[in-house]
Amino acid sequence: MTAQFYEEEEFTTQFNGKTVLRILAQTRQHWIWVVGFVAAIVITSVLDGYLTYLGKQIVDLGIMANNKQVLIEIVIKYALLVLVQGVTVLGFVFLASVLGERVRYDLRKKLVNNLQDLSLSYYSHTPVGWIMSRVTSDTERVSDLVTWGLVDVCWATANIFTSAFFMLKINWRLGLFVLAILPFISWVAIQFRKKILVEFRRARKTNSKITGAYNENITGVRVVKALGRENENIQEFHALTSEMYRASYRAAWLSALFLPTVQIIGAFALGAVAWYGGLSVEVGGMTIGGIQAFVSYILFMTWPIQDLARVYAEMQQSIASAERMFSLIDAVPELQDRPDSFDPGDLRGDIVFNHVDFYYEPEKPVLTDFNLQVRHGETIALVGPTGGGKTTIVNLICRFYEPKKGRILIDGVDYTHLTQHSIQSRIGIVLQTPHLFSGSVRENIRYGRLDATDQEVEEAARLAGAHEFIARLDDGYLQDVGESGNLLSTGQKQLISLARAVLARPQIFIMDEATSSVDTLTEALIQKGMENLMQGRTSFIIAHRLSTIRRADRIIYIENGRIAEMGAHNELLRQRGPYFNLYTRQFRRELAQEYDLFRLDGLAPL
Amino acid sequence: MYYPDDLSKIIVKNKLLGIWKLMDGFHLTYVVANLSLGLSAIFKTSTFLLLRYFADHVIGSDTARQVLPWVALGFIALATLEGACTYTSGRLAAFTAEGITQKVRDFLYDHIQRLTLAYHSQAKTGDLIERATSDVDALRRFFSEQAIGVGRIIFLFTVNFVAVLYLNAFLALISIIAVPFILSTSIFFFRKVTKAYEAYQEQESVLTTTLQENLSGVRVVKAFARQDYERTKFDRENWQKFLLGRRLASMHALFWPASDIICGVQMLIGLAIAAVMAINGTITVGTYVAYAGLVAWLIWPLRNLGRLIVQTSTGLVSFSRVLTIIQEQREPLDQGDYQPQQPLRGELVFDGVCFEYDDDETSALIDISFAAKPGQTIALLGSTGSGKTTLVNLLPRFYEYTRGSIKLDGVELTRYSRKFLRSQVGVVEQEPFLFSRTIRENLLYGVGEKVDQNEIEAAARAAAIHEGILAFPEGYDTLVGERGVTLSGGQMQRITIARTITRQPRILILDDSTSSVDFETESEIRTALENLMLGRTTFIIAHRIQSVMNADQILVMDKGRIVQQGTHSQLLEEEGIYRQIFDIQMRIEGELKQEIAMSEDPVSEEPMLSASLD
Repeated sequence: MTAQFYEEEEFTTQFNGKTVLRILAQTRQHWIWVVGFVAAIVITSVLDGYLTYLGKQIVDLGIMANNKQVLIEIVIKYALLVLVQGVTVLGFVFLASVLGERVRYDLRKKLVNNLQDLSLSYYSHTPVGWIMSRVTSDTERVSDLVTWGLVDVCWATANIFTSAFFMLKINWRLGLFVLAILPFISWVAIQFRKKILVEFRRARKTNSKITGAYNENITGVRVVKALGRENENIQEFHALTSEMYRASYRAAWLSALFLPTVQIIGAFALGAVAWYGGLSVEVGGMTIGGIQAFVSYILFMTWPIQDLARVYAEMQQSIASAERMFSLIDAVPELQDRPDSFDPGDLRGDIVFNHVDFYYEPEKPVLTDFNLQVRHGETIALVGPTGGGKTTIVNLICRFYEPKKGRILIDGVDYTHLTQHSIQSRIGIVLQTPHLFSGSVRENIRYGRLDATDQEVEEAARLAGAHEFIARLDDGYLQDVGESGNLLSTGQKQLISLARAVLARPQIFIMDEATSSVDTLTEALIQKGMENLMQGRTSFIIAHRLSTIRRADRIIYIENGRIAEMGAHNELLRQRGPYFNLYTRQFRRELAQEYDLFRLDGLAPL
Repeated sequence: MYYPDDLSKIIVKNKLLGIWKLMDGFHLTYVVANLSLGLSAIFKTSTFLLLRYFADHVIGSDTARQVLPWVALGFIALATLEGACTYTSGRLAAFTAEGITQKVRDFLYDHIQRLTLAYHSQAKTGDLIERATSDVDALRRFFSEQAIGVGRIIFLFTVNFVAVLYLNAFLALISIIAVPFILSTSIFFFRKVTKAYEAYQEQESVLTTTLQENLSGVRVVKAFARQDYERTKFDRENWQKFLLGRRLASMHALFWPASDIICGVQMLIGLAIAAVMAINGTITVGTYVAYAGLVAWLIWPLRNLGRLIVQTSTGLVSFSRVLTIIQEQREPLDQGDYQPQQPLRGELVFDGVCFEYDDDETSALIDISFAAKPGQTIALLGSTGSGKTTLVNLLPRFYEYTRGSIKLDGVELTRYSRKFLRSQVGVVEQEPFLFSRTIRENLLYGVGEKVDQNEIEAAARAAAIHEGILAFPEGYDTLVGERGVTLSGGQMQRITIARTITRQPRILILDDSTSSVDFETESEIRTALENLMLGRTTFIIAHRIQSVMNADQILVMDKGRIVQQGTHSQLLEEEGIYRQIFDIQMRIEGELKQEIAMSEDPVSEEPMLSASLD
């Protein structure tokens, strides 16, 4: 996928019939609604045309014929039809807008459902923002197209036909003449719409740049001030706003020119009607009411054409939206359970990496011929420099990714023969950047096991050393954690996510820098609880705290995708290798911290 | 050089007056836009009067054949004139709206970057951006759509009403019976609908948040195999939004046909009465025909007035929200009466300096006195919140000291302009901040184009990042940030150091920038920093003894005061915090040695341990 793939404004120039059909198919379940509003709109439009025709009759049969009786009849008919039209308008407004909401709901549901199944590899190369726009704005555009777009098309088409019908009925010669200018008006309208759309798109693009410029300048304001860059910044920004000005001003005046142009073309038809109609009245082919009706019908035709032009222009954009959206709906998870995969029940936790190769991008290998055997109940500490492959090993164990070559065995079975759910539901993982969801503390911990009682939630929190601070919160376990847990500190979030994993009673336990932002005192508190938890469970720990590392049964130093050193703490120290260096450096840092040397705020990763 | 117009003049009590002042330079344009609108309404109405003349005096007359072409031309001419006026008014309104919007955008951007750091430290970025974008856009719509839309409806109504009045006074009065009714219904409805719409939008943002959390927490979702739970959660919010949308739809579905019926009935009553009058001979057929056309333009536009009025009031709210930013005081960058003729030497003398933050009773700095000679390195040591950062913030005049004096080369600091000081004081922050543009542009940020490639490379070499930059596919033209390459913390830090070097500052402030990077990077950054410090008066904010040992002067700070002052060796001889810290660090080394000795057979002393404080 290239960077261009993520360009918002990219759209297909070709009319893609398949996509249009698929867009229309989104309403299939609700076809009766579609039939309903299309019918309502056609009736509304026909009534519009007929009411105008009644207006003609008021003049011709009532006034000109001096017949009050007929006039009253026509007026009553008119009044009744106005009421009927009220009902049909109600019908199509309600049906179309509710259907629009419904289609939006359906599309979003489909998208989100599929998103849950996609593999982590999809997420790692697709920005969240990109996915978000598919779910929010693209669904909006597509549902608008199948409802309001359809409304406009039906209304416009019906209006053109009704007007044409009544005009031909009143005077077919004049009617044909008026119809002859239709293609011309349509052509002008489409040209205008296309031009306007181009400017709109340019304006929107510039607008997002402007927002970006604000964002950067505000978040970096200290640097801006320190470097005294204010004057250059405003020059650059002015160039952006000037671009914006050009695009939106052009779009605005093109729009302002559009309507009058179409109306003036319509006025030629009007002039012709007056001229020819005026002559015909003399010879008896035309009436005053007829001329009046023609004036209205011409208006009835020019409006819909403008609407059609707009829908046509917007449709191209909606089709592009739909294509992107469908690509997401159709995305197939990279990792899928084999048809014959099974759920092995409880996991013992014997894990074997057998000649495993792995890369995220083919030209950059992360693990090469990686071998590791972990026995049931062992605690393994993974250490080594950032980018060495520690997190990748975790990702592979959780089967967020699968090996490119070689095999990983769990309890002696190649894990690709097992279902993903059977593995993932039994592994507990705590991440360095803890992710919480909006809601209360309790809800977040309960995420680990949905049917846990409040009592169990609290026990897990105690074990994870989180109870203390939770109890001090204003609302305790009911405290709202804010969007993504923003109201809590990183350390607090880590403790909650630890409690969440504890509650899940995992059979394999993984901690990836899980307590890096927790203070030393709390860390010591957790220690015991964690030891209990890891007792009898295969555990992997990525950590830089020595106490955590030392506790492990085996320490594995990973560098450049290979095991550089492996063994127990004392053994490795004696080797004077990379682990020794790491250990001495970290030792100094930790003690300095312990002695509270200025309460060091930045903690160093290994 | 472009400078945005000063908009502080729009700060007045009355909002409408403020808006009028905001329109400075566009007053005439906007008035003409509205006048054309009026004219276009007059031309439109004239079309119907021409129709009346046509029906009464042309059709069936002896001269019809001669007059008809002219009538036809008249219709075309009137439509053309109407179109020209509509276009003029639309274009002028757009000219005004877009012009004002650009002025506001430019001014706000410039204003925000010139507000004090005190303001920025408490302002929320998201809120500021929201005001600078959405609210400004609401303001644009106010000028381009709402204000002009209200004008259009009022003109149409007035001109058409006068025309009907001219046709027949009784008919005119009959035709406006429903007006108060339509107006009040419409205003009532749009008020309601605005509220329902807000609820709907709010639910949309709940939905967005839910999705955002789901996507960014995908590892957690998968780790706990909570896909179904997430689906249900999203579905709940999604359905809630559907329900709110349906409510909104029902409101619309009731309002439009209801107002259609009111307008339709009103029109029908007018038409029926007019038709009877025409049969009775009170009015001519032409008058009837003209009336039938005019009455439509009298009634139907009023339905939209309610929407415009409600939107106008939200436009005014946006105006106030923008105004609150404009009301904030800027930092006067050029204020200062002293401009040195010679390059700065970099001598700084603090004498009894005190400082308090506005929102805090307690003093952040108390009675700070010391002297820094040109080229000296001053290290500030102390815990978080002891006042180190506050002290150095005074140097580029990010904040103003409240008592005492700071003399730079013998001249009071407040006599130098901020602009000048900031060109002389280089700051390397603890958390490096780069802009999303190329590396070259980042290095040149703040120095303009006067630095050539050689100098840039020299700076990058001194910061030990030149090789690293060349390793990127596009070298110095590599984009950094979201749309470009991701840099490690150490790389970013060294680029900011190089950026500081290109500015050739006389005074340097280094916020101990090495505490958050790993060991290898740390030593590289250290080299870069040493190159940077050569010959410059330097202030180092430090957390560790290692970083301060070589300083010419060490200031140990605690609770806003200097508690100890001297060189490393002097301070070691005194009783005090400094020696305590040092002792602890020595003890740590001892413990380390022991620890290692315990885990292995006692072979030999490691030379690296004894030299570890270098």
